[in-house]
Amino acid sequence: MTRHAAPGAFASNVSRRQMLKLMGLGGTALAAGRLGFGQRALAQDAGTVAFWATATLDIGEKWPEFAAQAGIAPEFTDNGNDLGPVIARLAAGNANDLFDVGGFQGGAEKELSRQGVIIPWDLSKIPNYESVWSWAKDIAYLKQDGKQYGIPTVINADSIIYRPDKLGKVDSYGTIFDPKLKGRVAMEDAWINSAIFTAIYLKESENQPIKDPGNLSESELGLVMEFLIKHKKDGQFRTFWNGWEQGVQLVADEEVDAMTGWEPIVYEGRKRRLQVEYAAPVEGYEGWGNNTVLLKGAEERGTADAAHRFVNGLLGGFYGCELGKARGYIVPTDKNLDYAKAHPEEYAPADVEKLAEHVKAKFAGKVFWQNARPDNFQLYEEWWQKLRNA
Amino acid sequence: MVAEAAQRLSANAEIRDLSSKPAARLAAGTVNRTSPMNRRPFALLAPPLLAILLLGAVPLVLVLVWSFWTWDPATYWIKPDMSLAGYSAILDAGRWTVIVSTLLKAAGTATLCVFLAFPIAYVVQFLSGPRLQALLLALITIPFFTSYLIRSFSWRLVLGRTGIVNTMLQHIGLTQAPVDWLLFSNFAVVVGLVASYLPFAVFPLVLAFRRVPPDLIAAAQDLGAGFWRAVATILLPLTFSGIFAGFLFVFVMTAGSSTEVQMLGGAGASIVSVMINDVMRVANYPLAFAISTVVLAVIFTLVLVGNVTFKLSSLFAEEDR
Repeated sequence: MTRHAAPGAFASNVSRRQMLKLMGLGGTALAAGRLGFGQRALAQDAGTVAFWATATLDIGEKWPEFAAQAGIAPEFTDNGNDLGPVIARLAAGNANDLFDVGGFQGGAEKELSRQGVIIPWDLSKIPNYESVWSWAKDIAYLKQDGKQYGIPTVINADSIIYRPDKLGKVDSYGTIFDPKLKGRVAMEDAWINSAIFTAIYLKESENQPIKDPGNLSESELGLVMEFLIKHKKDGQFRTFWNGWEQGVQLVADEEVDAMTGWEPIVYEGRKRRLQVEYAAPVEGYEGWGNNTVLLKGAEERGTADAAHRFVNGLLGGFYGCELGKARGYIVPTDKNLDYAKAHPEEYAPADVEKLAEHVKAKFAGKVFWQNARPDNFQLYEEWWQKLRNA
Repeated sequence: MVAEAAQRLSANAEIRDLSSKPAARLAAGTVNRTSPMNRRPFALLAPPLLAILLLGAVPLVLVLVWSFWTWDPATYWIKPDMSLAGYSAILDAGRWTVIVSTLLKAAGTATLCVFLAFPIAYVVQFLSGPRLQALLLALITIPFFTSYLIRSFSWRLVLGRTGIVNTMLQHIGLTQAPVDWLLFSNFAVVVGLVASYLPFAVFPLVLAFRRVPPDLIAAAQDLGAGFWRAVATILLPLTFSGIFAGFLFVFVMTAGSSTEVQMLGGAGASIVSVMINDVMRVANYPLAFAISTVVLAVIFTLVLVGNVTFKLSSLFAEEDR
């Protein structure tokens, strides 16, 4: 479920290694964490923070430049973007001994704050938060009990990748379930995305009684998954894709005419001279965010202020420009454009503005937020297993 | 000269005997128990034995014990409340069918690999000179030069709608449109698995074939046995241990694979390791450990039965030469 990982990487195909790591080393690591091994030095450099985040948030060789501007140097560690092991390592392992700031897919905040492994941000210490777009501030997961646990750091909205030369204009998820396209469509091999896409379609086009597509109740989940199972049995799906390169290949080699997926796949397809478009579905987009959270260990080590300075830096403009240029993702603040205008030799203001307007346009319509940790998350997995076996 | 040679052979045999069966000789009381030569094998064995215990046995015992514990939502970890919930959950959501289909897939792939490896081993051992033997064995190792991921991905390019096979089929007029079942199907999975794990069947068989004196085949043929009769009555019985070893290697590797299934299988295709990964993602550790325990039990049983039936250890024994 490595979502929105670095383009070019075989994002999701690490299951064997992951399993071995989890089964063999993970248990040991969890145990070791409980015994206090591997604890980060308490008296660490006040000018650094340990940033444990999804690869989407990594700007690689640009971190030193970020550090020079923000006055704080992050030590980036990829967390694999698989929330199960991430939460387990925070709750029962040693992650809080090692890291100060986390960067996770939206939806985990509720569980993490309940566990007491993350603590609220003090927004008075993040002056750049004022510049964050208002609708991004309103993402429900960011606040728990009125306290700010998550800072929206990267935001986008996903829909359908399709070939207009084969299908004409596509503006509905109904295309994915259209029997005329049997065996010519695909969805992602991840309930976190495929369940919500289906729920959005059923709610908006089929008027099914679904309250929140991102957090399905037991009966809603049954409705959604039975619908998917029926279509799978009918041979609707060519495959369920996994990871960046597989997604690109499905489109590039004409295996499918339409699939739910990530927008950068469209950019990559166009680079390879393919005629591909990204749909603006009438039912709405699946919005997603990678949010930064303050780990409890930072407070215990006295690095909480440094963590606030770091996150303030993420919203300062340079980071947003770089992330937009490198990945096409957006930090939801106008500071990006301000920075580009002040440094046109580094980042073209027109490009930065175009990207911002593109994302804003998506969010001007209906958007249903992805939830990486819905209340019935174990039931989601059980239903996904039934779908696999159908 | 002949007496000298016989003496040297006898001395060599003694050395070989000492090095290969110290325990047996110790038990028979034919060697000096306090000799440093006798202690050396055990001293040499101690570090790897310790490593196997620590890195192999201890995690397996932990997996077994934890499979009976209970997941605690409060701590997001497991607690020692003994329960069979992990095992009963295997019966839910059709998980047991994944275990069964994994074992069947592994058995099918292993059987296919052995069938393909047998003639390869025959050619390597009986029909090739030393240089060709070396070349063939080197060619067999080619799959190891790339990762499983790259190998599986390349099969998508070969078997896909616009892949080499479909292009060729249409070019020669056998089909008018791309054949869809070549990719994202059980067929594609088996192709990927066989391509990945065939070398693991070839090498034990080559080893087993080396233990078959070529004179035996020649003698059988001199006495009127045809090729297939010689294979059935001489080669197969003498290479059973190699056949089973090759089967076992491929079976175990396939049962633990995931990449080939995820990249080449149909929509949502599953195998045990994919299922364990899914379960771990939602922190259902007792279920993941229970699935692992069941699969491990099956594999251990297979190894034990196979060892008793086919005497795997004879593959490496000297005295049968």
